[in-house]
Amino acid sequence: MTPPSSNGPSLAARVAERLHVEPPWEVYAEEAVRYEVHLNGTSVELVRGPVAVQGIGLRVLRPHDGAVGAGFQASTDLSDAGLRAAASDAETIARHARFPAASVDLPSRPSATVPATEVLDRRLWDDPASTVDRYLEALRQSFHGRKGAAVSFGSVRTARVRTSLANSSGLDTGFDHTTVDLELAVKASGGPEGPAPGEYWVTDSLRRLETAGLDRSVEAWCRYAQDVRRAVAPPSGELPVVLPAGVLSGILPQVVGFRASGSARLRKLGLEAGSALAAPSVTISDDGAYPWSPGSGPVDAEGTPSRRTSLVERGTVRATLYDSLHAAAFGERSTGNAVRAGFGPRPWLKFTHNAGVGSTTLVVTPGDGGTDPELCEAAGDGVWVQQLGWANPDPISGTFGGEIRIGYRIRNGKLSEPVRGGIVGGLVVAPPKKPSLLANVAAVGSTSELSEVLASPALLVKPLTVAGTSR
Amino acid sequence: MDPTVPALTEFEGEIEKALGRLATKTPFCDVMVQQGTGSSVLIDSKATNIAAAPRMRGAAFRAWSGTHWVEASTSDLSSGGVGSTVELLERSLSRVTRPGTPPGTAATTRGERATKPSKPVSELGADAMIKIVKDARDWALAVPSVGEAQVRLSWADESRLYLNSAGARCLQTVSRVHYVLVPIAMENGRAEADYLIRGGEGGQELLAGLTEEHAVETARASKALLTAKTPPAGEMTVLLDPTVTGLFAHESFGHGTEADQFTRDRSYLKPILGSEVGPSSLTISDDGAFPGAWGSIFFDDEGHPGQKNKLVDAGRFTGALHDRETAAAFSTHPTGNSRRSDFLSRSFVRMTNTYVEPGPLSLDELVAEAKNGVLLEHGSSGIEDPLGGQMQLKVNQGHLIENGKVTDLVGSMALSGSVLRFLREIRGVGRTVGEFAIEPGYCGKGHSDYIPVGTGGVHLLSRAVVGQA
Repeated sequence: MTPPSSNGPSLAARVAERLHVEPPWEVYAEEAVRYEVHLNGTSVELVRGPVAVQGIGLRVLRPHDGAVGAGFQASTDLSDAGLRAAASDAETIARHARFPAASVDLPSRPSATVPATEVLDRRLWDDPASTVDRYLEALRQSFHGRKGAAVSFGSVRTARVRTSLANSSGLDTGFDHTTVDLELAVKASGGPEGPAPGEYWVTDSLRRLETAGLDRSVEAWCRYAQDVRRAVAPPSGELPVVLPAGVLSGILPQVVGFRASGSARLRKLGLEAGSALAAPSVTISDDGAYPWSPGSGPVDAEGTPSRRTSLVERGTVRATLYDSLHAAAFGERSTGNAVRAGFGPRPWLKFTHNAGVGSTTLVVTPGDGGTDPELCEAAGDGVWVQQLGWANPDPISGTFGGEIRIGYRIRNGKLSEPVRGGIVGGLVVAPPKKPSLLANVAAVGSTSELSEVLASPALLVKPLTVAGTSR
Repeated sequence: MDPTVPALTEFEGEIEKALGRLATKTPFCDVMVQQGTGSSVLIDSKATNIAAAPRMRGAAFRAWSGTHWVEASTSDLSSGGVGSTVELLERSLSRVTRPGTPPGTAATTRGERATKPSKPVSELGADAMIKIVKDARDWALAVPSVGEAQVRLSWADESRLYLNSAGARCLQTVSRVHYVLVPIAMENGRAEADYLIRGGEGGQELLAGLTEEHAVETARASKALLTAKTPPAGEMTVLLDPTVTGLFAHESFGHGTEADQFTRDRSYLKPILGSEVGPSSLTISDDGAFPGAWGSIFFDDEGHPGQKNKLVDAGRFTGALHDRETAAAFSTHPTGNSRRSDFLSRSFVRMTNTYVEPGPLSLDELVAEAKNGVLLEHGSSGIEDPLGGQMQLKVNQGHLIENGKVTDLVGSMALSGSVLRFLREIRGVGRTVGEFAIEPGYCGKGHSDYIPVGTGGVHLLSRAVVGQA
């Protein structure tokens, strides 16, 4: 299996040369090769590869009636006839579409300010089969000899992607990147008759496949799966709750990421600059070049260089995120926040989506809350949520709420018995002076962790509503 | 189909040739070729967005290596593209192939089926689609406090051709239509939204529900949520409306009946197959042949026809969903539930349209029986827990039930608890109110591989944990 070719002009540039459309236009191209191994237990059930796809997304921008019509079409048919058909679709759509901006400036050739971004696992790029095999062997070794816990099923799905962009303003850029989707169900069982089997379900989107630290991770996964077996229902009430990055990553990007966007501002759902959104200990930025994040790249989905934008400083809203289109609607400049497919499960297949605006990687600045044990000490009597089934974030109402798949009771400032079931939920953001997850942050941990498209320390929220079955 | 898109059969010759070549290297191989066309219009008070379905097609080849399946996919259906994909698959087969055929029986089905709407939505054209969604938006925006309204109308025609080395040939085209209206009510920095969603297989007849009456009703429901009370928290009597019951049937129960979870020992339901799990008034089905339903398929992606399978029959857990491999493991037949998201994704055991069948009780009888608790309405999402057997569902709103009466409106909630306990504690299964509806949705297996599925049901009375969400 060979990676996408790096010889000569990029796919976007080659397609652009054959396009016969009026400016402004933009070509976003991807050449992706996927390699996947699916497991039943730790045995191989299915090997998939190469799964090869190459295609382009063509966008044309046509002013009419005081607005701009954005026409977009994606195609895997890169023949002359295929490109003509895609261009015809895009023009037809542009005639009917309307966006409230007089004109749109697409980014031109990036200057030297394009950040170097860590998004490519070189070993995975050069030899995905061996890299995945090595990882799976390390995984088997890590589980070997562990009593009562094993993988029941899983998959490692990797992709090598060459992304390129060209537009009528002279942009011709691109980058290579790797993606990894990891899914493992760790099952705990055995022992005397009694508790039912327990499971800890690991899902993650990564940029690289590393074996360093795997032993420690497997040990933790097995412990959580075992703890599920003896977990009890959480208490009910307004309680101090600690949410680590793995839980917050299912909440903050979806709600804060949308509310901070030009799209939300346009619809009067945006965060108002200068307003108090969060506790003073909370500072949040958006970083398009955060190392190894699935949301990172040297340029955004329109080719604007990635950058860091401060969204919330010490609890106060500072800025809004823009792509070219939404920037034009407000007379602003793009902040490098054009994204395709939002938080979709296919970071390797973006050419089928038109560019929109959104957060890339949200970064919560570490605070002085200290270590996890110190956060528990500050909580006193509460709940540590290790994993939610799904947080159900709602960008419009700003709510979230999900079932605790595994968590721990905090008693007298220390982690105590495991809890499972019940619901933790409430508002993520609320009007000023109203309680919410962000307004109620009582302490921000001192060590950050990257989980999906959020880098954050654990947050102590005091209180959050917990619906359980006992007090 | 878009006349400028070549029919899949134009590629069939090359595909068949490649499959024939592959068949000389393996005891069994198959291929699924796919392409789609479609468009959608999304409108709100600020912008009109139109999207065309990607001009995308491709093929997924699968072969049995002697110990496991190997697959390769390509978006290049030229003879060169298909040839090199099969060549790479042959190379991996030459490294690992051992004697032996794959588990189960290969389908030998041959057929061509298509949804044939008398008035396809594709014939409406962009201007007519824009008018329909603009009207719906304007009806919603006319309701006081509704500051924004988003409406999306889409249609998609998807063709799949399945061929295997045992002689199966299944060609199907499914036409799906979907719309959603989300009026957003805003006051004092608070925003709330209810929704109206419909979808199915067919044509313009599916748009009949996008009326002024329904748009205004939905917009008023959004406005009402601005003053909804905080929902109760804790374990209590719950009455699920048909949308929430459908989510329960799919997420909480259905995923545990996917028999690949049985072969992995990853289903809380496996040990109790054949046991009584609920009252005799409870029947849960998965039906890939439900006429006009969003999740219906003519054939699955192993060449088996879509069909109705009873999962729970009169309170007894009687059936699981199978592909050829799991059917062999449990000495039964494939149930037409092997589905790929697309040519870039693997085939899994998946649901189609999953629902609770109507029971004997009216809504008034169920509310009276509940006496005190909460009515959960407008299910919006859920997630499975196939091993742990816990349920998690989210609903957009609800009403308190006090002294046998439906009273105050409450805001969005999540529902949690043990599925088996919930089933055991069912105190009533409702009748159909109006026409039995299958709601459209998308299902992931885990967090990926999304496919269209339908859910449905009737009111269901039981007990669970509820909390604000």
